[in-house]
Amino acid sequence: MKERMDSSWKLTETQLREWLHGLLDANTVVAPVEEDGVLLFRRITSEDQAVIESSGKTRWSPKEFLFPRSEALYRYNFTGGTVQLDDPPVPEDHQILFGVRSCDAAGLVRLDEIFLSGTKDPIYAARRESTTVVSTACAAADAECFCTAVGGSPVGVEGSDLQLVPLDEGWLLRVLTDTGRDLVSGATDGWTAATASDGKRLSELEKKISEQIERSPVKREWSKILEEGFESPAWDQLAQHCLGCGVCAYVCPSCSCFDMNHEANAFSGEQCRSWDACTFALFTRHASGHNPRATKQERYRQRVLHKFAFREEDEPFRCVGCGRCVALCPAGLDIANAVVAAVEAIREEGADGAR
Amino acid sequence: MALAEASPNPYEPSLMRIHDYHDETSDVRTLQLQFVDDGEAVGFAGWAPGQFGQFTVFGAGESVFALANRPWRPNNNGGKPPLIECTFRTVGKVTSALRAMSKGQVIGFRGPYGNHFPIDDWKGKDLVFIGGGIGMAALRSAMLDVIDRKSEFGEVVILNGARSVADMVYTGEMPAWEQVEGVRVVRTVDPGGETEDWDDKVGLLPNIFEELGLDPEDRIVVACGPPVMLHYLFLSLGKTGYSPNQVVTTLENKMKCGIGHCGRCYVGPFSVCRDGPVVTWAELNELPKDY
Repeated sequence: MKERMDSSWKLTETQLREWLHGLLDANTVVAPVEEDGVLLFRRITSEDQAVIESSGKTRWSPKEFLFPRSEALYRYNFTGGTVQLDDPPVPEDHQILFGVRSCDAAGLVRLDEIFLSGTKDPIYAARRESTTVVSTACAAADAECFCTAVGGSPVGVEGSDLQLVPLDEGWLLRVLTDTGRDLVSGATDGWTAATASDGKRLSELEKKISEQIERSPVKREWSKILEEGFESPAWDQLAQHCLGCGVCAYVCPSCSCFDMNHEANAFSGEQCRSWDACTFALFTRHASGHNPRATKQERYRQRVLHKFAFREEDEPFRCVGCGRCVALCPAGLDIANAVVAAVEAIREEGADGAR
Repeated sequence: MALAEASPNPYEPSLMRIHDYHDETSDVRTLQLQFVDDGEAVGFAGWAPGQFGQFTVFGAGESVFALANRPWRPNNNGGKPPLIECTFRTVGKVTSALRAMSKGQVIGFRGPYGNHFPIDDWKGKDLVFIGGGIGMAALRSAMLDVIDRKSEFGEVVILNGARSVADMVYTGEMPAWEQVEGVRVVRTVDPGGETEDWDDKVGLLPNIFEELGLDPEDRIVVACGPPVMLHYLFLSLGKTGYSPNQVVTTLENKMKCGIGHCGRCYVGPFSVCRDGPVVTWAELNELPKDY
């Protein structure tokens, strides 16, 4: 006798495509698409375009569909001594982010922490409210992956409304939220209810991938050590090869820092928000010329510490371990290794100091 | 959609007309601004000294300035709609464009942002305001409030320092401040910045402060100025027996959003625009040296 697994279904590849086909009717669907040999999130118009695989990730995270690379925060006309302000249009369509890896789905929650805390960002909030996330668990780790080293999991559900788990054949579909339930309602005819034995697949994958990711885990209590070692000379060496190109921040699913500038002609303009990076020298430079982070060492330290320190004990790291910054850094810097090296160096300095 | 409808766009500024201005120095100007729509002033009625705003020159961009006018209280503007004042130095694109604007032209303002000086906690205490150059702008609102309510405080010393005589701000209004009993203004310029007919002090602010020999007992020090001035001032304060809890300053970092989202003003876990800009020296000591 097989025990029914709560709100979970088993789908064949064909059933998955049929479901996706149905979703295209009433929603804007964004999914991984192959373009010139590179996987990228794109709006799809046909279910066949989506690349839904048991492993592998897009070059860029899906964050730009909630937090675009560049967008108007408001627009204005200024002619004849008067100024007229207009809110930018907010897309009315419901958006589905389909085939998002677990790390990237968790990254969206890190964005929420910023944009929905304190004074809410209404533009982000509107997009977020009309977005449903269908994540895809991983059956294999990419070379750069390290989710399990930073508290994540290849089958993690943080930020997901539904989750697809690759089975040996077909998919396990887990319904995780009410929003997720809305997306399958009316589509389940002919689907097989999943059983508890299908659920074992989750722990199998978690174990398998933890073994594939050979990095030593970043411990929660290291945050304190990193904070105490703020002025450690170790940062000089760790940041030595940083080019300050900012690619790490751009590809990061949780990096949320932005710049604001006016783009205008003689008659009209807009307050434009665009992605920024803490590794850029201008990021913190005052009008006076004073720069609190005048060197790349200080800037790289900020990047690492903003991900791994200055957080309450019960808050997850701001790094979700997708590894894109590791894979794409032109200087070969590796944030997870940097944390381990910094902590080691700070501990040694402490021991030397005590001697 | 509900979220978006419930909260107004925090980035969209209120429109303000340049009512008047006063040139403090060759590159520092104080603007008086009036809400184009008087009704909008109501939304800002709760602001307090120490807070700041984002000022927009349409076509150029935004700049952060401290709110420099006295707090709005019933009838303190003769029943006229309340004004906002800011003092800025012409440094870059936005401030140059702002400097080029004339009376009657419209700019944008959003705010108030950040925390404020705990002025009510200072009641009954002696106060020293120490401002270096344009740093005085961040203190002006608090100083005007304290002078207006002088009977609630002890002795008030205002130490106004500048690089040179020509760079000193608020010189026009300082004589009026000194008219109030128990208010003393000390002016100093950096060595080499004096003119032949300068009869006030010559010396760096921290040194002049030490020279005054003020008793730290029951006294609050409120200081704002460039990082290097604050560094040496804190050394002087330590030497003369002040505890970090009786020293208040403002952290000035590059800011863009004003609401803790854009990420550039962080000092460790501390977002200057949201958690600051007003901090005690004691609080500053808890933060990483990243400002």
